[in-house]
Amino acid sequence: MFDEPVRRRNMASLTPLIDVVFLLLIFFMLTTSFLKTQSLSVVTPAPSADELPTDARVVEIWLMGDGTLRVDGTPVEREGLVEAVKAGIGARKDMTVTILAESGSKTQAFVSAIEAARQAGAHDVGTARVEKITP
Amino acid sequence: MMSDIDQDPPRRQFETLIPLINVVFLLLIFFLLAGTMTPADNVAVKLPVGALSDAEREAPATVLVEADGFVWLGERVVDPKIAQGPLREYLADKGMERVAVKADAEASAESLLLLMEALREIGVKQVTIVTERGG
Repeated sequence: MFDEPVRRRNMASLTPLIDVVFLLLIFFMLTTSFLKTQSLSVVTPAPSADELPTDARVVEIWLMGDGTLRVDGTPVEREGLVEAVKAGIGARKDMTVTILAESGSKTQAFVSAIEAARQAGAHDVGTARVEKITP
Repeated sequence: MMSDIDQDPPRRQFETLIPLINVVFLLLIFFLLAGTMTPADNVAVKLPVGALSDAEREAPATVLVEADGFVWLGERVVDPKIAQGPLREYLADKGMERVAVKADAEASAESLLLLMEALREIGVKQVTIVTERGG
């Protein structure tokens, strides 16, 4: 296989180049990240759930501790959340969506709820945490 | 001058290496162009998936929320319940206007809200929740 004598003199100029290129390749492979991030602006929450408005201009999203979601007390699926909030808002332009997170609910559900409220066209999104939601 | 180079080079060895070098160069250029280099965070968080993007500039201050609910302020780890003082210290030289929160998707919404409440207490009106593009 390697019985032919290798003439090294000409190769010698190329080997360091290959070494450096490999080194750079490995460096860039390890340092680059392909994760595409985006940002979601959220207003910092109310001091307590009691300070949030609860009148007729409010649609409430409840993040239950067991991972389920409710809109104004009615259980909804994650996929149907935008539609449910839209139905709650109706044609009004001044509706507030309040997101109440029960202890045990996850950040992913919280982010989904904020996005759903924004996509449904809420004028204002308020958030608060509560120990236990009592319907 | 040219006659020096033309002196019958042993081409066979080069020809076996050239495709390899080509591929390595190609990969190098791919990683150079396609990836973005960002400094690594102190703790790995699995970002929640989101759909909306508020095209915002890079926030100078980033706060991490680990999956178990603990808050990372640079090198420091604090419980979100007592994060107010450390947050004020942490944000003192970074500014209060733009604070990015990288919360793990599995972290409890309660710890995220506790952190956001602490941020509100020290005068931050709006936070940016970093999400991963998708679904």
